[in-house]
Formats: sequence, C-alpha cells, structure tokens
Amino acid sequence: MADTAISGQGRRVRFRQGTLLKVLVLALLIALIVLPLLRTVLFTLQPDVIKAWSDVLTGRLSTNLFYKPLGNTLIIGAVVSTGCVLIGGFLAWLVVMTNVPFRKTIAVGATLPFMIPSFAAALAWGTLFRNDRVGGQVGFLQGSGLDVPDWLAWGMVPTLIVLTLHYFSLAFTIIAAALATVNSDLVEAAQIAGAKGRRILMGIILPVTTPALVAAGSLCFAGAVSNFATPALLGLPVRMQTLSTRLFGMIEVGQVGRGYVIGILLVLISGVFLWAGNRIVSGRRSYATITGKGGRAKRFDLRAARWPLCAVAVTILLASTIVPVVVLIASSFAPSSADLFSNWTTHYWLGQSNPAFAQGTPGIVHNQDIVRALLVTLGLGVAVAFTGMFVGLLASYTTARYREGAMSAAITQISFLPLLVPGIAFGAAYIAYLGAPIGPLPALYGTFALLVIAGTAYLLPFAVQTGRAVIQQVGGELEESARLTGAGFARRLAAITVPLAIRGLAAGGILIFVKIVRDLSLVVLLFTPTMPVLSVVAYRYASEGFGQFANAITVVILLLSIAASLLANRLQTKSQPWLKN
Amino acid sequence: MKLRTIARPAALSIMLAGSAWAEAHMAEMSPQDLLPLAQEEGTVTVYSFTSRIGKVEAAFEEAYPGIDLQGFDISSTEQIARLKAEAQAGVVNADVIYISDTPVVLTELLETGIIEPYVPPRVADRVPDEFKSPLLAQRLSTKVLMYNEEANPDGAPVSNLWELTTDEWTGRVVMVDPLQRGDYLDLMTEIVLQSDVMAEAYQAEFGQAIDLGDAANAGEKFIMDLFANDLILVSSTDDVNAAVGKLGQQNPPVGFTSYSDRRDNEEEGWALQVANDVQPAPGIIFPAIVALAKDANNPAAARLVIDFLMGDESETGGPGLAPFYVAGDYVTRTDIPPHPDAVPLDDFTAWRIQPAETATIRAEVGDLVLTLQ
Repeated sequence: MADTAISGQGRRVRFRQGTLLKVLVLALLIALIVLPLLRTVLFTLQPDVIKAWSDVLTGRLSTNLFYKPLGNTLIIGAVVSTGCVLIGGFLAWLVVMTNVPFRKTIAVGATLPFMIPSFAAALAWGTLFRNDRVGGQVGFLQGSGLDVPDWLAWGMVPTLIVLTLHYFSLAFTIIAAALATVNSDLVEAAQIAGAKGRRILMGIILPVTTPALVAAGSLCFAGAVSNFATPALLGLPVRMQTLSTRLFGMIEVGQVGRGYVIGILLVLISGVFLWAGNRIVSGRRSYATITGKGGRAKRFDLRAARWPLCAVAVTILLASTIVPVVVLIASSFAPSSADLFSNWTTHYWLGQSNPAFAQGTPGIVHNQDIVRALLVTLGLGVAVAFTGMFVGLLASYTTARYREGAMSAAITQISFLPLLVPGIAFGAAYIAYLGAPIGPLPALYGTFALLVIAGTAYLLPFAVQTGRAVIQQVGGELEESARLTGAGFARRLAAITVPLAIRGLAAGGILIFVKIVRDLSLVVLLFTPTMPVLSVVAYRYASEGFGQFANAITVVILLLSIAASLLANRLQTKSQPWLKN
Repeated sequence: MKLRTIARPAALSIMLAGSAWAEAHMAEMSPQDLLPLAQEEGTVTVYSFTSRIGKVEAAFEEAYPGIDLQGFDISSTEQIARLKAEAQAGVVNADVIYISDTPVVLTELLETGIIEPYVPPRVADRVPDEFKSPLLAQRLSTKVLMYNEEANPDGAPVSNLWELTTDEWTGRVVMVDPLQRGDYLDLMTEIVLQSDVMAEAYQAEFGQAIDLGDAANAGEKFIMDLFANDLILVSSTDDVNAAVGKLGQQNPPVGFTSYSDRRDNEEEGWALQVANDVQPAPGIIFPAIVALAKDANNPAAARLVIDFLMGDESETGGPGLAPFYVAGDYVTRTDIPPHPDAVPLDDFTAWRIQPAETATIRAEVGDLVLTLQ
C-alpha cells in the first residue's frame, strides 16, 4: 500500500483522501459508540464499584438481581422470536406466494404493528384486560362483568402476547423480502416434476429462506429481550422482573454499579444471539432482490382455504393494529376504562385543570409539561434524523467507495454494534459517558444535545443501512468522472450523491424520526424533568395511574409515527418488491 | 445548543462571584425584600416528592405574579438519584428541593453539599429546633396501614400487624415497591429496628414465641412472611389508595399509604381510614424536608418559595400551607393549630423515625427486600 501511495500522483491523492476520510469516520464512530460502552465497563471496575459484579453474579442477591430476571428474559426472547417467525412467516407466505384475497392490504397491514410503540400496545392491553388485582380502575373486560384471571391481566402471558404482536412485523418484512427472491425456476421445476404444495414448501422454499428465518428470529429475540416498556407496565404488579426492568430499577434508585453490570450482561446476551444468528446466515451475505432472470412463479392456489386463511391473517392484523389503536383512542376520552364507550369527555384532551380529574392535571392541550415534551420530541426527531442520516451517509459512503482495508471493516462492524445494545443499556452507557464533564467539555446531563447524540449513535445501524442502499444506487462512475474534472469530496457529495439519493435519504431520515419519536427504552434513563420527551411522560402518567393521559399522549405519538411511516413508505415503495405482481 | 452549554459554566462563575455576597444577605431577608429580587429572576424550579406541588404552583403564582414556579412531581428516591447525577455533571436544574427520605438526604445530599439548609427568618421562632436542624422540616408525613371504612364500619379489620402474614390476608395487602420509593424502605427499615416490639406483638398475636427461621430478627421475619403472603406491589401511592379506598368494594385489601391521602376521599371516591390502633404500630411518621439547591440559579425566588411553603400569618397558614393543612399531615409550625379531623399527634401511635439510625441499616434492608421479590 505504501508503494502505491508514492507511485503516482492521482493514486496518491485518492489513497490519502480515503485514509483521511476513514480516520475521520472511524474516530467519530469510536466517540459515539465504542467509548460510551467502554466507559460503562470501566465504571464497574472501579475499586468501590467492582463488588457489584459479585452482588449480581454470585451473592445472596444474585437470584433476584440477575438469575430470575435472566430466566424471564430468556423465556420472553425464545417464545416471542418463535411466535414472530411463525406469524410473520405465515403472513409473508400468504402475501408473497399465494393467491389469498386482499394480498396488498395484508402486506401493508403486516408492517404497521412495528410502527406502533410497544408501550402503546401494553397500555392498550391494560385498558382491556386489567383486573382488580391492584385495585383502582379495572379494564374494559372486567368492567363488562368478565372475571379476568391474574395470568391474563399481568405478567408473562400478556407480555409474550403483546411483544409477539409487536415484533412479528419485523419478521414479516425480512421473510417476505427473502421469499420474494426465491427463484421461480426452482419452484416451476418442482411443479413440473409433480411435487405438491407441501413438498415444495418443505423441500425448496424453507431451505432457501432458512437464513431469513434465522435472521428474523434473532432480530426479534434481540428486540424482545431488551424491550423495557411492556414488562415494566405489565409485570410489576406480579413482581415479574426482566433484565431491562431490573436495570432501570437499579439506576432509578441510585444503585448505579449494579445497574451497569446488569446492562453489560444484557448487551452480552443479545450480542451472543445476534452473533449466532449471523453465523448461521453468514454464507449468504447478498440480499439482492432483483435478478436478471427468472420470472415470478405462479402463485400457489389455496382453493377452498383462501377465505379462511384470509380471515386468520385479518384477525392477526386486527388484534395487532386496529384493536390497540381503537382502544387507546377510546380510552383517551373515557373517564373509566371499565366503561370504554360511554360518558366520553374531551377533558383529557382539551380540559382546563379540574380537581375532580386526576389531581387537577389539565388536558394535554393545556398542559405545559406535555406541550413542552411534544416540542422537545419533535425537535429531537428532526435533529436525530438529520445527524443520523449525515453520519450514516458519511460512514456508508466511506465503506462503499474505499472498501478495502482493516479500517473499513472496523467502520462497518462498529456502525452495526448498537444493534446488539438494548436501548436501555445504551441510555445507561451514555449517562456514564457524558453525564460528567470530560476534560474541558461540559457535562451534557439533562441537555438536548445529549438526547441527540445518544439517539444518533443508537440509530446509526439503520442510518448506515439506508445510506448504503442509497449509495449503491448511485453509480460510482458518475462520481469518478466528477473527480476527474477536479471536484472535491464535499462538492461531489453535494452535487451528485445527495441530489440523486435524496429520496432514499429522506425515507431513511423519516424512519429514524419515527424510531426516536416512539422510543422509550433509550430515553427513559436520559430523561430529565427539564428536558421531557413524550414517550417518557406517557410512561410516567401510566405508572402514576393516570391512564387516560398516558393514552392520549400515546395517540399523539401514534399519529406522528403512522403519518411519518406512510410518507416514508411512499418514498420507497421500490424496496418492497413482494408487492408487485 | 452546544454553544450555550459551553458558555454557561463561564457565565455562571462570573455571576457566582458577585452573588456570594448577595446570597449571604438573602438568608436574613424578609419575603418583602426577597420579592423584587425573585421577580427579577422570574422563574423557580421545584423538585417535589408530592403531586400537591401542582396546587402550590397555582397558589404561589397567584400570590407572587411574575414568578413562574415550575413544579416537578418526582419521587424522593428519583430526586436523590437525579440530584446526584446533576451534581456530578455540574448542572443545577432545581432551586428548591421538597423531599422525604431524610436518612439518605442527610448523607447523600446534605453532607455532599448538593443541598443546603434554609430557615425563613419570618417563621424561625415558631419551629421547634428538632425540625430546623440539620434541615428544615415543613411537616411530618406518614406511611401507615390504612383500610376501607365503608367496608369496615366498625373499625380497622386488623388489630396486629402480624395478621397481615396470615391466610386471611393472602394477596390482600398492597404497598409500593420499597425499592422504588424510599419512604417504604424507611418503613421496612423501621420494622427491623423495632424488632423487639415486633417479637412481643408476635407473642401477643399467636400466643407463642417467635421462631425466626432464616431471619436475623423479628422485623426481618415479618417482612419475609409479608412478602411470602403474596404482598401486592404497585408503583405509586395513588395505586395503593385506589386499591384500598375505592368505594363499593366487598372485600377490599388493606395497604400502607399516607394518612393524609384521606383528604382525597371525597374527590376520588375513596373511603380511606387509618388503622391507628393496630399493634405494635401502624407504620412510620417522618419529616418532609424543604431545602435549597447549592448554587441555585434563582436563589431569591427559591427562598421565597420555601417561605411560602411554611405558610403565611393567617390562622391555618393560608394558601401556601393549604394543600398540607389536612388531616394526617402534621405541620411543624407551633402556632398553627392541629387539624381538627386528625388523630392528634400525641395519640398517633406510628413510630417516629430516627434518620441517622435508619441510615445505618437501610441498604441492608433494601437488599433483603430485593431477595424477596
């Protein structure tokens, strides 16, 4: 390499520039991602904190501090990922490979649950199923005279159901994309040879899509084990703890050392599973969805099962999208969740402070805290979308144009690292990292900047992924010719890459906006009363027993997320090939 | 944003140099003298462990127009964690700290210099010394056993705390998770500290000496048995109040909550009543502290808020004290008459906590509770 650098003028420029860019990007990623994680580990190794490791792993507290929550966490991960692959796979198969009625509607519907924040689904569950175990307001079903047993109202079962109905759309998206690439030649050959549907499914489709199934399963697993809102809202009354709720509890009561140790262990666990999933799929790095040959196979004819299967699919979608949304909206108007559809009042939205409602808390339009939280949240969404796409574009541009070398590999690896880190652990790491001043830099605790930086780092994998797809659409030769005419890096980026990729970038930015706006797990620890965000405000209202306010705020978040998601969908319809005939 | 955060410490230190002199004077100032300074500051931030801060906010802004009181309802436990994190970050968000959890407040906030005491000179001669030092207590608050008086018209359904560990009360005792709310951890700690009387109460209830089993003492034994009896943990006192107090229940649970929440019975449709005769004691009574944040951004307004919270010169303390002049809260000012509907403080049988003593074993009791969940 050193030789090439000296040998020719043009080459030297290119080499230098690539290196400079790489060093820059690598430094940025290390500052954003590696240092916070490292800082957390170092914190737990301090002499007066290191005992936290033995408390968590071996002491008399370890059973409750770690092992029981670990057991719950693993059950949640295993059941939810299995359920998601089954449901997501089933729907993907229906949409991509069969002639089920309302294919397109099902396809769109199956991507929606992921747009709904998981705490919204948990709140909706409480509004419906809450029984009288903890007293206070009972849910709709109990209020209608049904006796809801504890196991259905609280704890593991509702957590599993809510999380499965949330994450299956992630599995759907991955599996549907993979099914769409199944080479029709294979299926047709089998059909000509007289193979029946089941045989084709087991013999061809399943083996070919195994990597996607594994990828879907491991992503759902990682999502489920790190989810905070659902077990926090549904688990506490029956004392069910997961690693993420334990981590939150420990930091909240000031036992920071123990909290960080639990966070590190949580990162390791989801890391191991994602890594294992990756290993299994590693033979198949290409996710090319459009190939030169091979047309779409004839759709599998469901015959008499068409309508029943359609009904099953629609039921799943109703339960995961329509029902929670309707319940949340209704309960933001109903004074009593036991009686969801009567005595509606707009107090929780428009009312002035009135001692008869929720200790005098005014409706959300008049509530300064909520209005402020809305502004902060919107600002955060926009800021993170911009910074995220900027860093994402920079990182993916660097790795796409200057592919070779250890630094490029490092950039790729590090930029995907946050995928392994549960949001709540990431939030904890950022408090350790920027919570105190570093040298001459001031501490960022409680500032907007901290939220933006942490959000950017946390969502970098998505930004880089979008950035990469976008960069690859823009042919390298355009840039090459610009370079020959003497255009500098910034000029090329601004005049060629960005304008050509603006659609994709915008779509990516919107998705990041949605992710940060509806996120709870990352911000729940970074939250300070003077810098509030909507999701945490909603969570706090819910745990204070002011369900209607929580639900009303959640409806606002939902509307924001869904509107933005639909916009992003429009901008990138091209990336969903399975919708085409 | 970035610029501002960098510029702030510099600006702050310049301001502080000048304000040290002013602050020394402020300690002696009357509310009338503080007012113009406070109005210049224009805003003041209060961290409060009670949701009643909302009512204080409205009353304060009416009494002192031009000063925006930003009240945040944050549990004591969380306040302590946040104030420590903020201090470490060199950020001062709050001006006034209104908090319970005295055992931790003394060691982790006062001794570390995160907060400092302030006694408004106007009322200083009307607050007993024990409530002025080391920090000013505005009132005494409680965490005691409460029951539903609609379902139990003849009085409390429990006469001895140990009954709560029997089959009759399985799954029917509610309280807030002691790991989430320090007041409840203080209650658990006090029960351990009172192990001797707990042992006597056991003897009285079951007619035999207590068999400690794995427990180190009678208090620990009680806590272990209580958790084993499907104790229900919730996340806020309002959840306890609703569970215990809600009208129209056939077989309501009992629970540990604030005696003063009885004030909301009418508004919320509850029938909460204190089980004052329960043996050996219904729970704890502890100070609610008001203090200044060290280097507060709005030092004059902060002092004005504390002055306001101590009540005015009218008979029951006026609008500042009104949210706290309720049955079940015991105001520390000696010239304010006790609330007529409450059990008089002298007849109230709850244990008075000794913050310093509580602090010594509190973490240990916290760990015990952790092993039970």
